[in-house]
Amino acid sequence: MDHFPTNWGRPRNDAFDAYATYPIHQRPYNGPKDTFADGVQRTQQPIVTGTSVLAIKYKDGVMMAADNLASYGSLARFKDVQRLHQVGNYTVIGAGGDMSDFQYIQYILEELSIDEISAQDGHELGPIEIHEYMSQLMYARRSKMNPLWNSLLIGGFKDGKRFLSYVDLLGTTYSASTLATGYGAFIAQPLLRKAVEGREDVITEEEARKILEDSMRVLFYRDARSMNKFQIATISSAGVSISDSMQLETAWSFAENIRGYGAQTQ
Amino acid sequence: MIMPDMDSLAHPQERRFNPYTENGGTILAIAGADFSVIAGDTRQSEGYSIQTRYAPKVFRLTDRAVLAVNGFAADGNMFVKKVKQRLEWYHHAHAKDMPLRAIARLIQTMLYARRFFPYYVYNILGGIEEDGTGAVYSFDPVGSYEREACRAAGAAQSLVQPFLDNQIYFKNQEAAQGTSHPSHLPLETVLSIVIDSFTSATERHIEVGDGLEIFIALSKGRTLQGMESIRGLQELTVTEDGERLFVMRRDLKKD
Amino acid sequence: MSIMEYNGGSVIAMVGKDCVAIASDLRLGSQALGISSNFQRIFPVTDRVYVGLPGLATDVTTLRERFRYRVNMYTIKEEREIEPETFAHLVSSTLYQHRFGPYFIEPVMAGLSKTPSGGFKPFIAATDLIGCLNFAKDFVVAGTASAKLFGVAEGLWEPDLEAEDLFETISQTLLNAVDRDAYSGWGAIVHVITKDKIITRTLKGRMD
Repeated sequence: MDHFPTNWGRPRNDAFDAYATYPIHQRPYNGPKDTFADGVQRTQQPIVTGTSVLAIKYKDGVMMAADNLASYGSLARFKDVQRLHQVGNYTVIGAGGDMSDFQYIQYILEELSIDEISAQDGHELGPIEIHEYMSQLMYARRSKMNPLWNSLLIGGFKDGKRFLSYVDLLGTTYSASTLATGYGAFIAQPLLRKAVEGREDVITEEEARKILEDSMRVLFYRDARSMNKFQIATISSAGVSISDSMQLETAWSFAENIRGYGAQTQ
Repeated sequence: MIMPDMDSLAHPQERRFNPYTENGGTILAIAGADFSVIAGDTRQSEGYSIQTRYAPKVFRLTDRAVLAVNGFAADGNMFVKKVKQRLEWYHHAHAKDMPLRAIARLIQTMLYARRFFPYYVYNILGGIEEDGTGAVYSFDPVGSYEREACRAAGAAQSLVQPFLDNQIYFKNQEAAQGTSHPSHLPLETVLSIVIDSFTSATERHIEVGDGLEIFIALSKGRTLQGMESIRGLQELTVTEDGERLFVMRRDLKKD
Repeated sequence: MSIMEYNGGSVIAMVGKDCVAIASDLRLGSQALGISSNFQRIFPVTDRVYVGLPGLATDVTTLRERFRYRVNMYTIKEEREIEPETFAHLVSSTLYQHRFGPYFIEPVMAGLSKTPSGGFKPFIAATDLIGCLNFAKDFVVAGTASAKLFGVAEGLWEPDLEAEDLFETISQTLLNAVDRDAYSGWGAIVHVITKDKIITRTLKGRMD
């Protein structure tokens, strides 16, 4: 008889310990395995991915942008995906990286929101709380060696204060008046900094929109995993609004003058 | 036609998740006879990208203890959060702040608890001991620690530490006939050495720059002695009965 | 382990007012094992030009002879002493000839160059192991303690130091830097080049 309930109903090795005489620390263990044990490496890699998310602070609040593409490697697989997601009444969360992990995050935040609303305690989740929650979640998952493979931007406006912050799959966090994830960190961030730094309290909504559109256009030109169909979210004292998908004017006449990349012979 | 390499298709390449990264920056602390100075730059970076120009690495723990953390920022923030939590519990249990040497031992225990999945963080703890002396404790990521008069850590440690050996410990310097080197320097001298160290490190290290945050812990009864009007100084002291704490913010080059 | 760090050793050069200084430690090692505490790494090229050769010890010997040969050929052909700028380019081209199988040396040069008016102008330069030249106006460093040398020099150096002050600055920089480097140390040598004399001093250092 196996006296250990945790082993009941599980395969037994009669050749090894038919009468369960071995001390507990040598017996087969069926509980959750140690992080470093072989066979529980849940290490994934991103499969269906979103590219850059951009965000800036402006006079009235925060504005964010992300395109609608979810790629499967180099295949443009899903072309109508929302990567900007409203949480509560004051916050937008924008995601790059694995889209299934992002959908799971949306689910978690939905559960959280329901719990918080149900409490009816006079408190509402703002961007600060949601960013703290996401940082703890992302850091906890990386510490279990089972990360949520995303870079997230969290923007919001509550109690007269703008908020904009970043968190990624490692639990790394930071905030600044302009933020960009993925390729945007290399291509768009310098443009955003040049346009915004020191002018956060001056930039109007129209100007902010133009800055983001110009950056999205550059990303569309240079990031092969991007798409010319995107949304812009504004979060201000008026609340959250996420635009319908839109397209930008682009010009490709310069392309025929590019030399040295493949097809042309001279 | 070139066939795809079947071997590499058979075994999908496994990229093991790396739970760590390096976020650059440098920290530094110097102890005086009745004060302690703890400083860090405010740049946070990953690779060649500057993530933000202001991410604090130096944190007030109590009126007489300041902790600087450098390495993997996510681990650093989590570690500071947990240390602060333990100090709050201590306060609730004993109705006083934890003494500096006890905080040092606490940090060692907390770091060693994670011996097999370490916090990838170099810690420097500065502040005032119970006997009123200025102190600096430095730690490695798994908890080895010692009390010192000065320590630099982080990206520019190799640039700053030998400079400190020379300027704080007077290494390789002979005192003039009939004199001896001071064992502790005045606050004013220490502050200019700290600022010089960071401007030098900013000049020669790409991960150091943007801003400088210097915390100054003063022993009970000690005043700033004429340095009250120094540029960018701000008092952080919470209680009125003991040690005083100040922070000084300076710009560093942003390139 | 890196070949550049196999034998250890560091060199630094600094500009002063109408003078230059070049200094090096004296250690020769085999990785962590110390072999010699009087290894010469700095060599005179002319009366007013010195070169330091930190890196792989076997290449120190080879390059020293190679530079001696090429400088002699230059002197014979041109019937004049080589100027430090010219020597720097000679060093650079010698190293770049071995672009894909380099000598593991990062030379540091210091000298006084003649000006058209008959005066002398301080000159320092350094290259990487394939001859990329760096003409700095303040100081150049190379070797296993280079990061430490950068840090201390950036803190101690100032413009227009007189010969004796320059000597003190370069000595303090070198000694404090090599004391934090396991592969450099075991004594040091300093040369200060002025228009009418060269001051050479051997320094005691920590022997651990």
